[in-house]
Amino acid sequence: MAETTVVAKQESPIKFGKKERKLITDPLNDNNPITVQVLGICSALAVTTGMRNAVVMSIAVVFVCLFSNITTSILRTRIPKQVRMIVQLVIIATLVTIVELTLKAVDFESYKALSVFIGLIITNCIIMGRLEAFAMGNKPYESALDGLGNGIGYGLILIVVAFFRELFGKGSLFDYKIIGHTGEYLINTQTSWLFGWYEHNNLMVLFPSAMFVIGIVIWVHRAWNPKLVDIS
Amino acid sequence: MTAVVALVLAGMYTYLKPTHDRNEALYNKKAILSAVQNHLDSDLSKMSNDQIQEIFDAQIVQKVVNMKGEEVSREDVLALGYKGGMAENIDMKKEVKRNVADQILPVFLFAKDDGTQFYILYTRGKGLWDEIWGNIAFEDDLNTIAGVSFDHVQETPGLGAEIKDNAAWARQFVGKKVYDEDGSFRSVLVRKGGARDPVYEVDGISGATITADGVSEMLSRGLQYYEPYLKSIKG
Amino acid sequence: MDLVNIFIKSAFIENLALAYFLGMCSYLAVSKTVKTAFGLGLAVIFVLGITMPINWVINTWLLGENGIFATDLTFLRLILFIAVIASMVQLVEMVVEKFSPALYSSLGIFLPLITVNCAILGGSLFMVSKEYNFSESVAFGLGGGFGWFLAIIAIAAIREKIRYSNVPPALRGLGMAFILTGLMGMAFMSLMGIDPAAFK
Repeated sequence: MAETTVVAKQESPIKFGKKERKLITDPLNDNNPITVQVLGICSALAVTTGMRNAVVMSIAVVFVCLFSNITTSILRTRIPKQVRMIVQLVIIATLVTIVELTLKAVDFESYKALSVFIGLIITNCIIMGRLEAFAMGNKPYESALDGLGNGIGYGLILIVVAFFRELFGKGSLFDYKIIGHTGEYLINTQTSWLFGWYEHNNLMVLFPSAMFVIGIVIWVHRAWNPKLVDIS
Repeated sequence: MTAVVALVLAGMYTYLKPTHDRNEALYNKKAILSAVQNHLDSDLSKMSNDQIQEIFDAQIVQKVVNMKGEEVSREDVLALGYKGGMAENIDMKKEVKRNVADQILPVFLFAKDDGTQFYILYTRGKGLWDEIWGNIAFEDDLNTIAGVSFDHVQETPGLGAEIKDNAAWARQFVGKKVYDEDGSFRSVLVRKGGARDPVYEVDGISGATITADGVSEMLSRGLQYYEPYLKSIKG
Repeated sequence: MDLVNIFIKSAFIENLALAYFLGMCSYLAVSKTVKTAFGLGLAVIFVLGITMPINWVINTWLLGENGIFATDLTFLRLILFIAVIASMVQLVEMVVEKFSPALYSSLGIFLPLITVNCAILGGSLFMVSKEYNFSESVAFGLGGGFGWFLAIIAIAAIREKIRYSNVPPALRGLGMAFILTGLMGMAFMSLMGIDPAAFK
């Protein structure tokens, strides 16, 4: 948290103009980390079986992305070029360990559910990618905005994917039953109020469906925003 | 820089370690209590940590037994390196790796307010990807299952992971028996394609045959370990 | 457990790419042609095979309670693992460059990419949670690498072919690659039922 105060001192007055806003909104759409930059796919697949996991993971990634961007940006002039990879990785790994230790203390059930995937935030290429592409060449304040934007852009897709997977796979959201019947063999047996005929599609909970859902998200995104279409 | 990083992390780790341990312990206690969920006053998943701890302290008696059915003293458990020396402190992941004849087993006695007693036994085996384990609660007759709770390291969500997530599946075990009329051990079988015996079998999970077989194997092997002890209390 | 058993299991049944979906970023980015995919695949086998045993040694002898410091230092695990991976990648890069320029020119550009390939770190973390011993971790590393290699070659071959198909424009390229990987993942799920003991 000490970093933020440092930022405030260096960068006053802090502007939030058009350029700054673009830093945040760009990763949400035109330059989305998952659907356009294709970074950070691994965890997007593994943790999207339920909304709860996806939200916890998004928060963790936003945190790591924001603070690693700020730290790297502050240190950028002091990092020798040859060892920058290792320095960046140490920064990320430290932040991830902090997240892991905190989560284990605060929400143990999520910690159990996410298991190794918290550790894998380190190799979440989006974080490393932003450090290389942005934080190494920009001031801390801009880097902070960029980190925040990319973290949120990543979380957005995660939550969209988790929404469809949990809704159609388990008929629930945040473990709260929404659609489908309430026969035996359901994860939640509270009474549902919508679409009692709906049979849960177990495939949606399995790994491959994450691929299909992201593929379809990309399809919709690009159909809606044709300038992103891949010509190759 | 590395030194600073290591120091910060070490500080944080030491500071949070008690909370981590407490969470870990509570997680286990919750799993043990959820085997007798039907006999608790309120829904376990809605209870606060303190409430769980309170129920556990007030209504559970812990015992440790060995493969011969004798009770193991606290000193002996401590000597094996389990800090605290109670049944809840035994790290079963380590324990199952030891020589079968030397293993020690936890027993949790749950007493309801009206005086009825339940025996909660532990068993551990292999699923598809990794280990699975369960707490099995028995009624007073040491034969009828009162409830089960299973857990796993990383079974497939939606398939093998149903042993934990699907309460309806676990509820099937209630009322099943593990001894036949002659008193010989029979265990409960998870049958692919649906149970054929109303007393000794439960339905499998479609798409999770290996995990389900793992549960069958773990029950028949793990519960047999307790046989000497169960015989000794039945008299 | 038998070593062959672990090799087969980690290569096919618990395929890092298609069962755990690890290392997807480089998997999707570098699978446009078989030639580049081959290079990256080889590099992954190489690095997994080397880092896995080293990380095993670090985890057991340095961080464990029975290690040389005799305290539980597991909170440093992530940092040390990633540092080992990053430095191993650099070392491998230098060695390969010196002794086999031909291999270097084909592998060269892919090596730095591997540092951020989560299959490598993921493999090490799985090794810890599965509590393998030293030789098992070598088998797991090689098997995992081989499985990843197979997966990336397969998708690259399919992507080369699919370029001639009539895919909706918005789905072309990346979108199709995702759906293909999903289908391949489903195919690999059918391997889950295999009993690895049968290969003994």
